[in-house]
Amino acid sequence: MNSKNLRETTRRHFFSNCTMGVGSMALASLMAQEGISTPTSQSSNPLLPKPTHFPPRAKNVIFLFMAGGPTQLETFEYKPELTKRNGEPIPESFIKGKRFAFMNSSHRSNLLGSTRTFQRYGNNGTWVSDLLPHTAGIVDELSIVKTCKTDLFNHAPAKFFMNTGSGQFGRPSMGAWVTYGLGSECEDLPGFLVLQSGPRGPRGGAVLWGSGVLPTTYQGVPLRNQGDPILNLSTPDTVTPDQQRQLVDSVRELNLKRLVASGDEEIATRINAYELAYKMQSSAPELMDTSGESAETLDLYGIKDPNESSYARNCLLARRLVERGVRFIQLYHTNWDHHGGPTENLQKHLPEICKEIDQASAALVLDLKRRGLLDDTIVIWGGEFGRTPMGEVRENTGRNHHIDAFTMWFAGGGFKSGQVYGETDEFGFGPIENPVHVHDIHATLLHLLGLDHHRLSVKFQGLDFRLTGVDPARVVKELIG
Amino acid sequence: MTRKKRQFKLVQIPVSVRFFAVCVWSAISITTLPAGDVETGNRVVDDDESGVAVAFNREIRPILAENCYACHGFDEASREADLRLDTLDEAIGSDSGSAIVPGKPQESEFVSRILSEDSDLLMPPPDTGKQLTEQQKQTLRRWVQQGAHYDAHWAFTPPKLLAPPIIAGVSHPIDRFIHARLNDESIRPSARAGLETLIRRVSLDLTGLPPTPEQIDVFVRESETDASAAYRELVDRLLASPHYGERWGRWWLDQARYADSNGYSIDGPRSIWKYRDWVVDALNQDMRFDTFTIEQLAGDLLPQATQSQKVATGFHRNTQINQEGGIDTEQFRVDSIFDRVATTGTVWLGLTIGCAQCHDHKFDPITQVEYYRMFAFLNNQDEPTMKVYQPNVDVDALASELKTVKQTLTEFLSARNDQIDAWGKAVADDAKKKLPSAVRKALDTEDAKRSFDHKRELFAEAVKAGAIEDENGMFESLTKRYTDLDDALNKTDTTLVLSERSERRKSHVLIKGDFTRPADEVSPGTPSILHPLGEVSDPPNRLDLARWITRPENPLTSRVIVNRIWQQYFGRGLSEIENDFGLQGAPPSHPELLDWLALEFIRQDWSLKQIHRLIVTSQTYQQASTFRKDLQDIDPDNYLLARQQRLRLDAEIVRDVALVASGLLAPKLGGPPVFPPIPDGVMSQGQVRRSWETSRGDDRYRRGIYTFKFRATPPPSLNVFDAPDGFSTCTRRIRSNTPLQALTLMNDPAYFEFATALQKIIQQDGIQVAFRRCTSRPPTDDELAILDRLDTLGAARALLNLDETITRE
Repeated sequence: MNSKNLRETTRRHFFSNCTMGVGSMALASLMAQEGISTPTSQSSNPLLPKPTHFPPRAKNVIFLFMAGGPTQLETFEYKPELTKRNGEPIPESFIKGKRFAFMNSSHRSNLLGSTRTFQRYGNNGTWVSDLLPHTAGIVDELSIVKTCKTDLFNHAPAKFFMNTGSGQFGRPSMGAWVTYGLGSECEDLPGFLVLQSGPRGPRGGAVLWGSGVLPTTYQGVPLRNQGDPILNLSTPDTVTPDQQRQLVDSVRELNLKRLVASGDEEIATRINAYELAYKMQSSAPELMDTSGESAETLDLYGIKDPNESSYARNCLLARRLVERGVRFIQLYHTNWDHHGGPTENLQKHLPEICKEIDQASAALVLDLKRRGLLDDTIVIWGGEFGRTPMGEVRENTGRNHHIDAFTMWFAGGGFKSGQVYGETDEFGFGPIENPVHVHDIHATLLHLLGLDHHRLSVKFQGLDFRLTGVDPARVVKELIG
Repeated sequence: MTRKKRQFKLVQIPVSVRFFAVCVWSAISITTLPAGDVETGNRVVDDDESGVAVAFNREIRPILAENCYACHGFDEASREADLRLDTLDEAIGSDSGSAIVPGKPQESEFVSRILSEDSDLLMPPPDTGKQLTEQQKQTLRRWVQQGAHYDAHWAFTPPKLLAPPIIAGVSHPIDRFIHARLNDESIRPSARAGLETLIRRVSLDLTGLPPTPEQIDVFVRESETDASAAYRELVDRLLASPHYGERWGRWWLDQARYADSNGYSIDGPRSIWKYRDWVVDALNQDMRFDTFTIEQLAGDLLPQATQSQKVATGFHRNTQINQEGGIDTEQFRVDSIFDRVATTGTVWLGLTIGCAQCHDHKFDPITQVEYYRMFAFLNNQDEPTMKVYQPNVDVDALASELKTVKQTLTEFLSARNDQIDAWGKAVADDAKKKLPSAVRKALDTEDAKRSFDHKRELFAEAVKAGAIEDENGMFESLTKRYTDLDDALNKTDTTLVLSERSERRKSHVLIKGDFTRPADEVSPGTPSILHPLGEVSDPPNRLDLARWITRPENPLTSRVIVNRIWQQYFGRGLSEIENDFGLQGAPPSHPELLDWLALEFIRQDWSLKQIHRLIVTSQTYQQASTFRKDLQDIDPDNYLLARQQRLRLDAEIVRDVALVASGLLAPKLGGPPVFPPIPDGVMSQGQVRRSWETSRGDDRYRRGIYTFKFRATPPPSLNVFDAPDGFSTCTRRIRSNTPLQALTLMNDPAYFEFATALQKIIQQDGIQVAFRRCTSRPPTDDELAILDRLDTLGAARALLNLDETITRE
């Protein structure tokens, strides 16, 4: 879209939002009399869609974030050699010079074979374990990457790294970058929404979806499971809907008068913000109301009680958000940190959490596809890192944090379907071909959205901040269909 | 020039370097108007060709810095083709020929390469994403034609004292600089703002609180007699108000990255509010800014350092602390030093020193070794928690008295041991159950093993039970004294401070900033591009660093600080990029004024209040902010300041204004952070559920600066209005304008409570009064008509939601 068209669209948008109360034409003529240019710039609504750097393959992103670091060795990485050599020390050559979390406490260097059963699925005979039967059923839709690689091995820094491209606190998150770069196509909800499930919130908290040096307009807005879905969404108890509408109308009229008197376009932006806020008051509850979904759809996701908060319900909401044009949706599900402690072992707790996410994740991909939304929507599944081939023995068996190679999958939005990319050694310790660094994932994601990761930058403290950082990042063309 | 073509080819450049080159491409473009034509120490060359002289600092350096220095600048590691363009000597080269031949563009490869139509030859290389405009190319060519004169970077040369231009009828020095520039452009300044706008503006700017209707009336009345005297008195009153320290304290706390929690993922609470109170108090006392600086950076190193001077070192304790399990503590300690170096550089020097952590600075002449020499200054302290005693407490005297009292009390109790024991044995089992747990514990302890506290408990209980007589109240008075002394000495507030180590910690260059890869050892030192460190202790320490920063010959600090103050008043500094005065920064719009203010700041004994007074008494500050049709094309972004600027209030002040308007504000100064009401469930996000027990009484209605701030889950109503999170230094707040702000003002329980209080004011005093409490002006008839359609609660809510209420005009 060229800038003239953009200005025209913006102008229309502004006036279409101001049809109540003072008429738009009246406003325009008032402002013209005062010599004020009608607010046509992006500044009056920073979330308006913006032109991409080049034609995009995808419009929306859903990131299913498995917080805690899911094990690849019990899910997608079939390693018979590891099982065969269970209990043997890992050859020194693998671990020399490496640092691990909890190195001095519970870390052990003996190999731990997986006890799961693996089978081949799909057109290419992709290995998937018995823990993910539904995911196994959709492997033909996925690009499974076994050689993902990150830099940091503690939870919070690694989560920041996956989300912001930096281990530092307070950098803009992926969703903030994407909405900053593209705006949003949803007129009555924020452009970046976050949904959470599991026993507790992800480590790192709100910083994971923060906007960092970007304006707060672009920060992720958590859709809450209890109370108002968005903070302060509900009109105060004693106020009627009519009174709230009158409030919004009166504030708009008074603000318009001040706009005319002062000529400050910022007031036009505020008028728009109040309109969006008011729309959110009805659109967000409408979003959360899934009573219109068919029993078949609920079954597909495995939702038993649609009013109960769960990962499955969040997957369904993610689809509904995509339907409404929300740009970036991130789900967090805890807890994948299976060290082998009393509440986090591979025998009992891993199967439980796999069951919590397997059916709904697969359902989301299938549901998007049958509704024709998958072509435009990227779905990502993965965590901040994977887990070591070496076992960790606490009260039970588990695995430590591992950053050299772990598995993520990608679907839709231009990703090639039905492939496994990257190969690891016999223990699944490190890549033997096609490593994919977190920054490469970011570069690829932005590329599919029509953004050049070099160009999506913002200057702060003398540095140009980018999602992909300073070190080289590569668009992984092999992943693109 | 013998350089071969392939040397310039981008394929030769390591990928990482190319990245940095692209890095320079910026999404935020900064428009700057050229500075005035007054000689400012920058060479202005007579043109021998086109009749237009090219000024290096203003026209050439920004082009070179933006497009060339990443590969042909200061950083040796990323330098391409062995060519530097950041100094004349290097650019004219030596044996192997020169890129630039002064006066001869046709012989300068620099010129032919930027003009080249061959994409293999063109500079900057097209795939860096950089492109010179035709005008930039011609400016560079003309510069070479005129002799390729380089000037020292403006911010690295000391400010020049130039008398303000003489303008008939204009006396204030700031106005003389500003009006001279406006006159050049044939623009007239705006008229003085209306009295109500003015008092609201200056009250909010100096104290963060709006004026009361009574204060407005007084000001309007007194202005009728003598407008300028009335305004002067108003400014004096505001500067003397203790709320001045709160408002400008918050300005400094942003830079200090102050918050009340440890950060990272656990983000547990911490106690460092004594440092916050120190800042507020120091500003209220108008502590000299050089002293203010020295105490914060090195108060512990001052001779006979006072408690207050030690509290001040909390500045650099506002770094995060990682409480996660399984971490390498040294890694996070080093990270905190990185933050301290970067923050010191940004806050006081306006330099992005932090950029040289992993490699030599790409743009500014700061080497990686110099970075680690700065690091070495800040790498030699322990980081204890300090008890803070009430002022005037003589700790030694109290401690010695405590010892005496304890001794007396011990002897007193020993003498009555038998009585105590006898009483203890006589207590029946069912009576024992009703005793306080401390007493029961003491009873359960064997006689011989009973501690001092056990005996005290028992004796007190025995007296209470009437079993033993406290003759002359001896025990009671001794105990009271003992408890008072113990409380004064041991149950104090605490704060985080720096404390220099006696044994030096070695500092090394860390390869790529990686703490596991130390290289050469370094000693403390300052960048050679700036003034010399001067006479120092051996080895130099933090105090030497602090004194070096506050030397009058430092070209940066006074400029950086006055610029950052200016930014608060006009929404933008005289140099727009307030945190980078280096080569990548923005040349000031009014360089002479910036220099004049910087020198005036020092001349006025580093008095911040004097600088505030100076700025707010100018006509430039007092003029109307109303948009002007005639400026729309000439100066749409108001760089020339022919009008004031409407600015949305800072997050804390949005709250404060609502509190004052609704009559709820509890104006108490200082003390522990408070917990005003927040929406349910906010604190349960993230790894740790944080406790937020809502404060009672006045603490519900304290100013925003006192709200407890968890870094990872900041209070939402402040967060949505862009209050910084305290993860790193913030020298300029973003002013966003979002629907979540609207939801907050409309629906947040705290704001609804404010509205209810304002409703009562409407019911008692009428809508006009309430309107005035929010905006400082009476409503127009039109506005009244709109408000009259609403019930009183609706009207109160509408008033708190007005753009005008949360804006200073």
